[in-house]
Amino acid sequence: MKKLLIASLILVTHVPAYATDTPISGLVQTRCLITTDTNGVFGNPLPSKLSTASADGGVVPVVRYDVTLADAYLAKVTTPTAFSTSPSLSDSVKWTGSTAVSKTSDAAMSGYEAAKVTYGSTTQFDLTKAGSTWFSSTATAVYGVSKSFPGGSYTAIVLAECIAK
Amino acid sequence: MIMLVVALLAIYATNAHSEYLYGLTGNMAGTGHTWGMNIGPSGSQSLKINGVFYQYTPVKNTEDDMVVHVRNKRFGTNEYIFSSTDDWSGLPGGIPITKGFVIDNLPIELWGDGSIDVEGSGSVVDANVVYSYKYNNDCLTPMSDPSCSGYIDAVLSMMGESKIEVYDPLADENIADVIDEKAELDEEVQQEDDEKVKAKDRLQRMLSGVNDSILYANVSSQNLLMFAMSRSNNLNPYYDKKLAGGVYKETVILSGGELPDNAKGARAGLAQQLLHTEMVSLQYNQGD
Repeated sequence: MKKLLIASLILVTHVPAYATDTPISGLVQTRCLITTDTNGVFGNPLPSKLSTASADGGVVPVVRYDVTLADAYLAKVTTPTAFSTSPSLSDSVKWTGSTAVSKTSDAAMSGYEAAKVTYGSTTQFDLTKAGSTWFSSTATAVYGVSKSFPGGSYTAIVLAECIAK
Repeated sequence: MIMLVVALLAIYATNAHSEYLYGLTGNMAGTGHTWGMNIGPSGSQSLKINGVFYQYTPVKNTEDDMVVHVRNKRFGTNEYIFSSTDDWSGLPGGIPITKGFVIDNLPIELWGDGSIDVEGSGSVVDANVVYSYKYNNDCLTPMSDPSCSGYIDAVLSMMGESKIEVYDPLADENIADVIDEKAELDEEVQQEDDEKVKAKDRLQRMLSGVNDSILYANVSSQNLLMFAMSRSNNLNPYYDKKLAGGVYKETVILSGGELPDNAKGARAGLAQQLLHTEMVSLQYNQGD
Protein backbone atom coordinates (compact mmCIF):
# COMPACT_ATOMS: atom_id res chain seq x y z
CA MET A 1 0.00 0.00 0.00
CA LYS A 2 2.76 2.43 0.87
CA LYS A 3 4.61 1.70 -2.31
CA LEU A 4 1.47 2.25 -4.34
CA LEU A 5 0.88 5.68 -2.70
CA ILE A 6 4.41 6.79 -3.39
CA ALA A 7 4.06 5.78 -6.99
CA SER A 8 0.83 7.76 -7.27
CA LEU A 9 2.45 10.91 -5.87
CA ILE A 10 5.26 10.63 -8.35
CA LEU A 11 2.77 10.47 -11.21
CA VAL A 12 0.78 13.42 -9.96
CA THR A 13 3.74 15.69 -9.38
CA HIS A 14 5.27 14.91 -12.76
CA VAL A 15 5.26 17.99 -15.04
CA PRO A 16 5.41 17.28 -18.76
CA ALA A 17 8.13 19.12 -20.76
CA TYR A 18 6.61 21.62 -23.38
CA ALA A 19 8.37 22.66 -26.62
CA THR A 20 7.93 25.92 -28.55
CA ASP A 21 9.12 27.24 -31.88
CA THR A 22 10.21 30.89 -31.87
CA PRO A 23 10.29 32.36 -35.37
CA ILE A 24 13.03 34.62 -36.56
CA SER A 25 12.08 36.87 -39.43
CA GLY A 26 14.24 39.10 -41.52
CA LEU A 27 14.14 41.07 -44.75
CA VAL A 28 16.93 41.30 -47.23
CA GLN A 29 16.62 44.20 -49.59
CA THR A 30 17.89 43.62 -53.03
CA ARG A 31 20.99 45.52 -53.92
CA CYS A 32 21.00 44.35 -57.50
CA LEU A 33 18.01 45.25 -59.61
CA ILE A 34 17.63 44.11 -63.20
CA THR A 35 15.36 46.05 -65.51
CA THR A 36 14.59 45.62 -69.17
CA ASP A 37 15.49 48.93 -70.74
CA THR A 38 14.66 48.06 -74.35
CA ASN A 39 12.82 45.08 -75.75
CA GLY A 40 14.56 43.46 -78.70
CA VAL A 41 13.12 42.91 -82.14
CA PHE A 42 14.26 40.48 -84.78
CA GLY A 43 14.98 41.82 -88.21
CA ASN A 44 14.74 39.50 -91.19
CA PRO A 45 17.40 40.65 -93.68
CA LEU A 46 17.50 37.27 -95.38
CA PRO A 47 14.88 34.53 -95.64
CA SER A 48 17.10 32.31 -93.58
CA LYS A 49 18.26 34.89 -91.03
CA LEU A 50 16.79 36.61 -88.01
CA SER A 51 18.92 39.23 -86.29
CA THR A 52 18.58 41.91 -83.64
CA ALA A 53 21.30 44.03 -85.17
CA SER A 54 20.13 47.42 -86.24
CA ALA A 55 21.95 46.94 -89.54
CA ASP A 56 19.66 43.97 -90.12
CA GLY A 57 16.53 45.93 -89.29
CA GLY A 58 16.31 44.69 -85.76
CA VAL A 59 16.38 46.30 -82.32
CA VAL A 60 19.03 45.35 -79.82
CA PRO A 61 17.64 44.40 -76.43
CA VAL A 62 19.11 46.34 -73.52
CA VAL A 63 19.03 45.35 -69.89
CA ARG A 64 20.05 47.56 -66.99
CA TYR A 65 21.67 46.46 -63.75
CA ASP A 66 21.31 48.81 -60.79
CA VAL A 67 23.76 47.89 -58.06
CA THR A 68 23.88 49.70 -54.75
CA LEU A 69 26.63 47.58 -53.24
CA ALA A 70 29.97 47.66 -55.00
CA ASP A 71 31.99 44.52 -55.72
CA ALA A 72 29.28 42.17 -54.51
CA TYR A 73 27.63 40.87 -57.65
CA LEU A 74 28.30 39.28 -61.01
CA ALA A 75 26.12 40.08 -63.97
CA LYS A 76 25.44 37.10 -66.24
CA VAL A 77 23.72 37.68 -69.53
CA THR A 78 22.88 34.73 -71.75
CA THR A 79 21.84 35.19 -75.34
CA PRO A 80 19.21 32.82 -76.74
CA THR A 81 20.02 29.43 -78.18
CA ALA A 82 16.50 28.53 -79.13
CA PHE A 83 13.19 30.14 -79.95
CA SER A 84 10.76 30.20 -77.12
CA THR A 85 7.92 30.40 -79.60
CA SER A 86 8.05 29.78 -83.31
CA PRO A 87 6.34 27.91 -86.10
CA SER A 88 7.24 24.28 -86.45
CA LEU A 89 10.81 24.04 -87.65
CA SER A 90 12.09 21.01 -89.51
CA ASP A 91 15.71 22.00 -89.70
CA SER A 92 18.39 23.15 -87.30
CA VAL A 93 18.94 26.74 -86.26
CA LYS A 94 22.39 28.13 -85.76
CA TRP A 95 22.56 30.75 -83.04
CA THR A 96 25.21 33.38 -82.46
CA GLY A 97 25.12 36.19 -79.92
CA SER A 98 27.15 38.56 -77.85
CA THR A 99 26.71 40.92 -74.95
CA ALA A 100 28.51 44.19 -74.37
CA VAL A 101 28.44 47.14 -72.01
CA SER A 102 26.48 49.81 -73.80
CA LYS A 103 26.34 52.53 -71.18
CA THR A 104 27.48 53.17 -67.63
CA SER A 105 26.75 55.63 -64.86
CA ASP A 106 30.33 55.80 -63.69
CA ALA A 107 33.55 56.23 -65.59
CA ALA A 108 35.14 53.48 -63.53
CA MET A 109 32.66 51.01 -65.03
CA SER A 110 34.20 51.46 -68.43
CA GLY A 111 36.56 48.63 -67.53
CA TYR A 112 33.73 46.13 -67.34
CA GLU A 113 33.81 45.47 -71.04
CA ALA A 114 37.49 44.62 -71.10
CA ALA A 115 37.16 42.41 -68.04
CA LYS A 116 34.14 40.44 -69.16
CA VAL A 117 34.29 36.64 -69.39
CA THR A 118 32.44 34.77 -72.09
CA TYR A 119 31.63 31.10 -72.08
CA GLY A 120 29.14 29.53 -74.40
CA SER A 121 26.34 31.96 -74.93
CA THR A 122 26.84 33.53 -71.52
CA THR A 123 28.80 36.68 -70.78
CA GLN A 124 29.77 37.49 -67.22
CA PHE A 125 30.62 40.94 -65.87
CA ASP A 126 32.10 41.72 -62.50
CA LEU A 127 30.12 44.60 -61.05
CA THR A 128 32.86 46.20 -59.00
CA LYS A 129 31.22 49.62 -58.76
CA ALA A 130 27.93 50.77 -57.43
CA GLY A 131 25.69 52.33 -60.00
CA SER A 132 23.85 51.47 -63.16
CA THR A 133 25.19 49.54 -66.10
CA TRP A 134 23.43 48.90 -69.38
CA PHE A 135 24.15 45.72 -71.31
CA SER A 136 23.06 45.16 -74.89
CA SER A 137 22.86 41.76 -76.51
CA THR A 138 22.78 40.81 -80.11
CA ALA A 139 21.33 37.56 -81.28
CA THR A 140 21.33 36.01 -84.72
CA ALA A 141 19.56 32.88 -85.89
CA VAL A 142 20.28 31.21 -89.22
CA TYR A 143 17.98 28.45 -90.39
CA GLY A 144 19.45 25.34 -91.95
CA VAL A 145 21.68 25.98 -94.90
CA SER A 146 20.22 29.06 -96.49
CA LYS A 147 16.77 27.71 -95.79
CA SER A 148 13.88 30.07 -95.43
CA PHE A 149 12.23 30.42 -92.07
CA PRO A 150 8.57 29.45 -92.14
CA GLY A 151 6.23 32.38 -91.83
CA GLY A 152 5.00 33.13 -88.34
CA SER A 153 5.94 34.71 -85.08
CA TYR A 154 9.30 34.09 -83.49
CA THR A 155 10.27 34.85 -79.93
CA ALA A 156 13.52 34.34 -78.08
CA ILE A 157 14.63 35.17 -74.56
CA VAL A 158 17.77 36.88 -73.23
CA LEU A 159 18.44 35.67 -69.72
CA ALA A 160 19.90 38.26 -67.33
CA GLU A 161 21.01 37.18 -63.86
CA CYS A 162 22.61 38.88 -60.91
CA ILE A 163 24.77 36.44 -58.98
CA ALA A 164 26.12 37.29 -55.55
CA LYS A 165 29.86 36.78 -55.30
CA MET B 1 2.16 95.72 -36.41
CA ILE B 2 4.93 95.00 -38.87
CA MET B 3 4.99 91.41 -37.72
CA LEU B 4 1.25 91.21 -38.26
CA VAL B 5 1.52 92.53 -41.79
CA VAL B 6 4.30 90.09 -42.60
CA ALA B 7 2.27 87.24 -41.12
CA LEU B 8 -0.77 88.21 -43.15
CA LEU B 9 1.31 88.42 -46.27
CA ALA B 10 2.68 84.97 -45.55
CA ILE B 11 -0.81 83.56 -45.05
CA TYR B 12 -2.03 85.21 -48.22
CA ALA B 13 0.92 83.92 -50.12
CA THR B 14 0.32 80.42 -48.80
CA ASN B 15 -3.28 80.53 -49.92
CA ALA B 16 -2.27 81.88 -53.31
CA HIS B 17 0.18 79.06 -53.91
CA SER B 18 -0.61 76.92 -56.90
CA GLU B 19 0.68 73.73 -58.36
CA TYR B 20 3.86 73.68 -60.35
CA LEU B 21 4.27 72.70 -63.93
CA TYR B 22 7.20 70.52 -64.95
CA GLY B 23 9.32 70.29 -68.03
CA LEU B 24 12.51 69.09 -69.65
CA THR B 25 14.91 70.98 -71.82
CA GLY B 26 16.25 69.67 -75.06
CA ASN B 27 19.89 68.74 -75.48
CA MET B 28 21.68 71.85 -74.27
CA ALA B 29 25.01 70.51 -75.58
CA GLY B 30 23.67 69.74 -79.01
CA THR B 31 25.49 72.55 -80.78
CA GLY B 32 28.64 72.82 -78.69
CA HIS B 33 30.18 72.16 -75.35
CA THR B 34 29.01 75.45 -73.84
CA TRP B 35 25.48 76.70 -73.52
CA GLY B 36 23.37 79.39 -71.93
CA MET B 37 20.58 78.74 -69.49
CA ASN B 38 17.77 80.44 -71.35
CA ILE B 39 15.34 77.63 -70.69
CA GLY B 40 11.71 77.12 -69.88
CA PRO B 41 8.56 78.52 -71.45
CA SER B 42 8.76 82.17 -72.30
CA GLY B 43 7.29 84.33 -69.58
CA SER B 44 7.34 81.53 -67.02
CA GLN B 45 7.96 82.71 -63.50
CA SER B 46 9.88 81.25 -60.59
CA LEU B 47 11.49 78.56 -62.70
CA LYS B 48 13.55 76.16 -60.65
CA ILE B 49 16.00 73.51 -61.77
CA ASN B 50 15.28 70.18 -60.11
CA GLY B 51 17.41 67.79 -62.13
CA VAL B 52 20.41 67.48 -64.44
CA PHE B 53 21.00 64.54 -66.73
CA TYR B 54 23.95 64.11 -69.05
CA GLN B 55 25.47 61.53 -71.30
CA TYR B 56 28.54 61.51 -73.49
CA THR B 57 31.05 59.10 -74.96
CA PRO B 58 34.70 59.61 -74.15
CA VAL B 59 37.19 59.14 -76.93
CA LYS B 60 40.63 58.35 -75.59
CA ASN B 61 43.40 55.87 -75.29
CA THR B 62 43.26 53.76 -72.20
CA GLU B 63 46.66 54.87 -70.99
CA ASP B 64 45.93 58.56 -71.33
CA ASP B 65 44.80 60.76 -68.51
CA MET B 66 41.54 62.48 -69.09
CA VAL B 67 39.08 64.27 -66.82
CA VAL B 68 35.71 65.50 -67.98
CA HIS B 69 33.72 68.17 -66.13
CA VAL B 70 30.06 68.80 -66.76
CA ARG B 71 29.11 71.95 -64.90
CA ASN B 72 27.29 75.23 -64.61
CA LYS B 73 28.67 78.41 -63.20
CA ARG B 74 26.86 80.22 -60.43
CA PHE B 75 25.52 83.28 -62.14
CA GLY B 76 27.75 86.30 -61.79
CA THR B 77 30.60 84.42 -60.10
CA ASN B 78 33.45 82.10 -61.00
CA GLU B 79 32.08 79.38 -58.74
CA TYR B 80 30.01 76.48 -59.92
CA ILE B 81 26.44 75.84 -58.89
CA PHE B 82 26.60 72.36 -60.41
CA SER B 83 29.61 70.26 -61.25
CA SER B 84 30.14 66.61 -62.02
CA THR B 85 33.56 65.20 -62.83
CA ASP B 86 34.41 61.90 -64.50
CA ASP B 87 38.00 60.76 -64.28
CA TRP B 88 38.82 58.57 -67.25
CA SER B 89 42.51 58.36 -66.52
CA GLY B 90 43.75 54.86 -67.25
CA LEU B 91 40.31 53.79 -68.34
CA PRO B 92 39.18 52.84 -71.81
CA GLY B 93 36.93 55.14 -73.76
CA GLY B 94 34.24 54.36 -76.22
CA ILE B 95 31.51 53.42 -73.78
CA PRO B 96 28.92 56.11 -73.14
CA ILE B 97 28.46 57.33 -69.64
CA THR B 98 25.15 58.62 -68.37
CA LYS B 99 24.41 60.30 -65.07
CA GLY B 100 21.44 61.90 -63.41
CA PHE B 101 21.31 64.29 -60.48
CA VAL B 102 18.45 65.54 -58.38
CA ILE B 103 18.77 69.26 -57.72
CA ASP B 104 17.11 70.95 -54.80
CA ASN B 105 14.92 73.31 -56.81
CA LEU B 106 17.51 75.99 -57.36
CA PRO B 107 16.08 79.12 -59.03
CA ILE B 108 17.11 79.65 -62.62
CA GLU B 109 18.48 83.06 -61.66
CA LEU B 110 21.36 81.31 -59.92
CA TRP B 111 22.37 79.28 -62.95
CA GLY B 112 25.10 80.60 -65.17
CA ASP B 113 26.38 79.15 -68.44
CA GLY B 114 26.94 75.42 -68.69
CA SER B 115 29.87 73.61 -70.23
CA ILE B 116 31.61 70.30 -70.79
CA ASP B 117 35.29 70.80 -70.10
CA VAL B 118 37.94 68.20 -70.90
CA GLU B 119 41.30 68.12 -69.17
CA GLY B 120 44.02 65.86 -70.49
CA SER B 121 44.15 63.84 -73.68
CA GLY B 122 40.93 62.85 -75.28
CA SER B 123 37.63 64.27 -76.29
CA VAL B 124 33.94 63.91 -75.78
CA VAL B 125 31.42 63.03 -78.46
CA ASP B 126 27.66 62.54 -78.56
CA ALA B 127 27.18 64.82 -75.58
CA ASN B 128 23.64 65.23 -74.30
CA VAL B 129 22.80 67.47 -71.36
CA VAL B 130 19.21 67.86 -70.23
CA TYR B 131 17.77 69.88 -67.37
CA SER B 132 14.47 69.20 -65.71
CA TYR B 133 12.63 72.12 -64.16
CA LYS B 134 9.45 73.21 -62.56
CA TYR B 135 7.73 76.55 -62.71
CA ASN B 136 4.49 78.40 -62.26
CA ASN B 137 3.07 81.60 -63.64
CA ASP B 138 1.97 83.01 -60.32
CA CYS B 139 5.01 85.18 -59.70
CA LEU B 140 4.02 88.07 -61.91
CA THR B 141 3.57 89.73 -58.52
CA PRO B 142 6.56 88.60 -56.48
CA MET B 143 4.62 88.74 -53.20
CA SER B 144 2.13 86.15 -54.43
CA ASP B 145 4.35 83.31 -53.30
CA PRO B 146 7.27 83.17 -50.86
CA SER B 147 9.04 80.93 -53.35
CA CYS B 148 8.94 83.66 -55.97
CA SER B 149 12.20 85.35 -56.65
CA GLY B 150 12.14 88.86 -55.27
CA TYR B 151 9.50 88.01 -52.66
CA ILE B 152 11.56 89.21 -49.71
CA ASP B 153 12.71 92.33 -51.50
CA ALA B 154 9.15 93.14 -52.46
CA VAL B 155 7.91 92.72 -48.89
CA LEU B 156 10.72 94.79 -47.45
CA SER B 157 10.23 97.44 -50.09
CA MET B 158 6.56 97.66 -49.32
CA MET B 159 7.24 97.89 -45.61
CA GLY B 160 9.69 100.70 -46.19
CA GLU B 161 7.39 102.74 -48.35
CA SER B 162 4.23 102.29 -46.35
CA LYS B 163 3.35 104.25 -43.20
CA ILE B 164 1.90 101.93 -40.66
CA GLU B 165 -0.77 103.89 -38.81
CA VAL B 166 -3.56 102.90 -36.51
CA TYR B 167 -6.70 103.06 -38.51
CA ASP B 168 -9.74 104.68 -36.89
CA PRO B 169 -12.77 103.97 -39.00
CA LEU B 170 -14.80 106.72 -37.30
CA ALA B 171 -12.22 109.26 -38.43
CA ASP B 172 -12.54 108.14 -41.99
CA GLU B 173 -14.54 110.77 -43.88
CA ASN B 174 -15.85 108.22 -46.29
CA ILE B 175 -17.17 106.05 -43.51
CA ALA B 176 -18.61 109.10 -41.67
CA ASP B 177 -20.37 110.15 -44.85
CA VAL B 178 -21.72 106.68 -45.27
CA ILE B 179 -22.98 106.64 -41.66
CA ASP B 180 -24.70 110.02 -42.13
CA GLU B 181 -26.24 108.94 -45.36
CA LYS B 182 -27.45 105.80 -43.73
CA ALA B 183 -29.00 107.75 -40.85
CA GLU B 184 -30.79 110.00 -43.33
CA LEU B 185 -31.87 107.04 -45.27
CA ASP B 186 -33.23 105.40 -42.12
CA GLU B 187 -35.14 108.56 -41.25
CA GLU B 188 -36.58 108.74 -44.73
CA VAL B 189 -37.51 105.13 -44.52
CA GLN B 190 -39.20 105.79 -41.16
CA GLN B 191 -41.14 108.72 -42.62
CA GLU B 192 -42.12 106.66 -45.57
CA ASP B 193 -43.30 103.95 -43.22
CA ASP B 194 -45.40 106.48 -41.25
CA GLU B 195 -46.86 107.85 -44.45
CA LYS B 196 -47.59 104.39 -45.57
CA VAL B 197 -49.42 103.70 -42.30
CA LYS B 198 -51.43 106.91 -42.64
CA ALA B 199 -52.20 106.21 -46.23
CA LYS B 200 -53.27 102.78 -45.23
CA ASP B 201 -55.62 104.21 -42.59
CA ARG B 202 -57.06 106.64 -45.11
CA LEU B 203 -57.47 103.93 -47.57
CA GLN B 204 -59.21 101.79 -45.01
CA ARG B 205 -61.55 104.65 -44.15
CA MET B 206 -62.18 105.28 -47.81
CA LEU B 207 -62.80 101.68 -48.37
CA SER B 208 -65.17 101.55 -45.39
CA GLY B 209 -67.15 104.51 -46.92
CA VAL B 210 -67.17 102.80 -50.22
CA ASN B 211 -68.38 99.70 -48.50
CA ASP B 212 -71.22 101.71 -46.89
CA SER B 213 -72.07 103.23 -50.24
CA ILE B 214 -72.01 99.87 -51.85
CA LEU B 215 -74.20 98.51 -49.08
CA TYR B 216 -76.60 101.46 -49.43
CA ALA B 217 -76.60 101.09 -53.17
CA ASN B 218 -77.36 97.44 -52.79
CA VAL B 219 -80.23 98.23 -50.46
CA SER B 220 -81.56 100.92 -52.83
CA SER B 221 -81.26 98.72 -55.82
CA GLN B 222 -83.03 95.99 -53.90
CA ASN B 223 -85.81 98.43 -53.02
CA LEU B 224 -86.09 99.64 -56.60
CA LEU B 225 -86.15 96.13 -57.79
CA MET B 226 -88.85 95.24 -55.31
CA PHE B 227 -90.79 98.38 -56.31
CA ALA B 228 -90.51 97.51 -59.98
CA MET B 229 -91.62 94.00 -59.29
CA SER B 230 -94.59 95.16 -57.20
CA ARG B 231 -95.58 97.88 -59.76
CA SER B 232 -95.71 95.32 -62.42
CA ASN B 233 -98.02 93.30 -60.32
CA ASN B 234 -100.17 96.37 -59.66
CA LEU B 235 -100.41 97.57 -63.26
CA ASN B 236 -101.06 94.30 -64.94
CA PRO B 237 -104.69 94.08 -63.77
CA TYR B 238 -105.47 97.42 -65.49
CA TYR B 239 -104.13 96.15 -68.75
CA ASP B 240 -106.65 93.38 -68.55
CA LYS B 241 -109.72 95.77 -68.11
CA LYS B 242 -112.23 95.86 -71.00
CA LEU B 243 -115.00 98.35 -71.77
CA ALA B 244 -118.50 97.00 -71.49
CA GLY B 245 -120.32 96.89 -74.90
CA GLY B 246 -117.31 97.94 -76.79
CA VAL B 247 -119.05 100.72 -78.94
CA TYR B 248 -120.20 104.23 -77.98
CA LYS B 249 -122.76 105.41 -80.52
CA GLU B 250 -123.51 109.17 -81.49
CA THR B 251 -126.44 110.31 -79.39
CA VAL B 252 -126.73 114.10 -80.48
CA ILE B 253 -129.42 114.84 -83.04
CA LEU B 254 -129.43 118.14 -85.08
CA SER B 255 -132.96 119.28 -85.54
CA GLY B 256 -133.80 120.96 -88.86
CA GLY B 257 -130.39 120.17 -90.32
CA GLU B 258 -129.20 123.83 -90.33
CA LEU B 259 -126.99 125.72 -87.92
CA PRO B 260 -127.49 129.54 -88.01
CA ASP B 261 -124.64 132.05 -87.35
CA ASN B 262 -124.22 133.30 -83.82
CA ALA B 263 -124.84 137.00 -84.24
CA LYS B 264 -124.28 137.72 -80.65
CA GLY B 265 -120.94 136.10 -80.71
CA ALA B 266 -119.96 137.94 -83.85
CA ARG B 267 -120.66 141.27 -82.29
CA ALA B 268 -118.71 140.46 -79.19
CA GLY B 269 -115.80 139.25 -81.28
CA LEU B 270 -115.82 142.30 -83.51
CA ALA B 271 -115.86 144.62 -80.50
CA GLN B 272 -112.90 142.83 -79.08
CA GLN B 273 -111.04 143.10 -82.38
CA LEU B 274 -111.66 146.82 -82.61
CA LEU B 275 -110.50 147.37 -79.14
CA HIS B 276 -107.35 145.41 -79.81
CA THR B 277 -106.55 147.35 -82.94
CA GLU B 278 -107.00 150.61 -81.11
CA MET B 279 -104.63 149.50 -78.40
CA VAL B 280 -101.96 148.51 -80.90
CA SER B 281 -102.25 151.77 -82.72
CA LEU B 282 -101.84 153.68 -79.52
CA GLN B 283 -98.19 152.64 -79.18
CA TYR B 284 -97.35 154.04 -82.60
CA ASN B 285 -99.22 157.26 -82.07
CA GLN B 286 -97.69 157.99 -78.72
CA GLY B 287 -95.01 160.29 -80.16
CA ASP B 288 -97.47 162.49 -82.09
